[in-house]
Amino acid sequence: MPKRSQKKLAREELLSLFQTYNENKDPKVKEILVGSYMNLVHSLARRFANRGEPLDDLVQVASMGLLKAIDRFDSSRNVQFTTYAVPTIVGELRRYFRDRSSTIRLPRGLRERSHTLNMAIQNFSQEHGRSPNIAEIAAAVGITEEEVIEGLEGAEATNVASLDTTTDDGDLSLLDIIGGEDKTMRLLDERLSLAGAMSSLDSREQNLLYLRFIEGLSQTEIADRLDISQMHVSRLLRRTLKLLRQDLTSKEPYRS
Amino acid sequence: MVEELDEEVHISVPTDERMTSVVRLATTAVASRTGLNLDQADDLNTALDELFRFSITQESKPASSVFRIHYNIHADCLEVVTEGIGVSFTDEASKVGRYCRFILEKMMDSVTDKPNPAGGLDVHIIKRISQG
Repeated sequence: MPKRSQKKLAREELLSLFQTYNENKDPKVKEILVGSYMNLVHSLARRFANRGEPLDDLVQVASMGLLKAIDRFDSSRNVQFTTYAVPTIVGELRRYFRDRSSTIRLPRGLRERSHTLNMAIQNFSQEHGRSPNIAEIAAAVGITEEEVIEGLEGAEATNVASLDTTTDDGDLSLLDIIGGEDKTMRLLDERLSLAGAMSSLDSREQNLLYLRFIEGLSQTEIADRLDISQMHVSRLLRRTLKLLRQDLTSKEPYRS
Repeated sequence: MVEELDEEVHISVPTDERMTSVVRLATTAVASRTGLNLDQADDLNTALDELFRFSITQESKPASSVFRIHYNIHADCLEVVTEGIGVSFTDEASKVGRYCRFILEKMMDSVTDKPNPAGGLDVHIIKRISQG
């Protein structure tokens, strides 16, 4: 994949390159054009981050959109390339999510409700310094408690969080934020008396367990520390526990 | 000590991993009725998730093909009893059992167990409603 553009080309230079590419489809010219618009690719890919897909994958998808846009762009028309490229790249990203990102499709209304709930939970936690209960979320959003429960559990069924998922801020992955220290594994192994089991997790997953089970932070407190949502912490924690359990179960001999 | 019992809810689900979402949905609804906040409700869900999955592992050797959960709603806490999971839950030699107990003890305010007459153990957990 091309790196982000190091040197910004002038508009006239870019137009000249597009004219050349339109005429001869020279791969070297195309490569220069791709490199010139990688910042746009990264920027658009980041808009779709935090939806459960690794940023690197999104950049790959957006890059495919850029290649299509370059191939199809007609420089003889008096239109800026970005005007043409942005909808093409965004369309590629949307198709990716529609086709591949979720094994279980939720109705659109439920997806939107899940997003609304997530925002309401964050706002409430910031305002009151504690996690809300279902009734408080329902009152804040103006829906019934049953609808809140449906929205929360519906989101859980479709959104399997990854520690590679990026934060709202962009390129930093949760792995980078949570960090990793060898002492975490030792501490957890000591507390759990599960020598070896922790090695199935990477150091960042171990640290998430450390924050929750050794430091005793609540999900809301972890969310504050990592600057992510409580719902995201919940998913990450569940995923990490699942990995740990799977490893333990596979190693445990069946005893009659 | 817990305050006087207000309401009871009982569910029985097949010991099948695909029933996990049913347990979660029911638990979230009962937690909401009890007044637990999201953090507490999620802790309870995680704890029951671990217990349910533990009950269907080969290691646990479930006494029954049905997983029964009794939710007892009190003014100050939610008391949950699960029936008949494998005795390896308390077996120090079982890593999976130790792991499951660790998660429960960290997430719940009280975890106790006693033999079920029909086999296995009844696990009794309490999540208290924290104020503020």
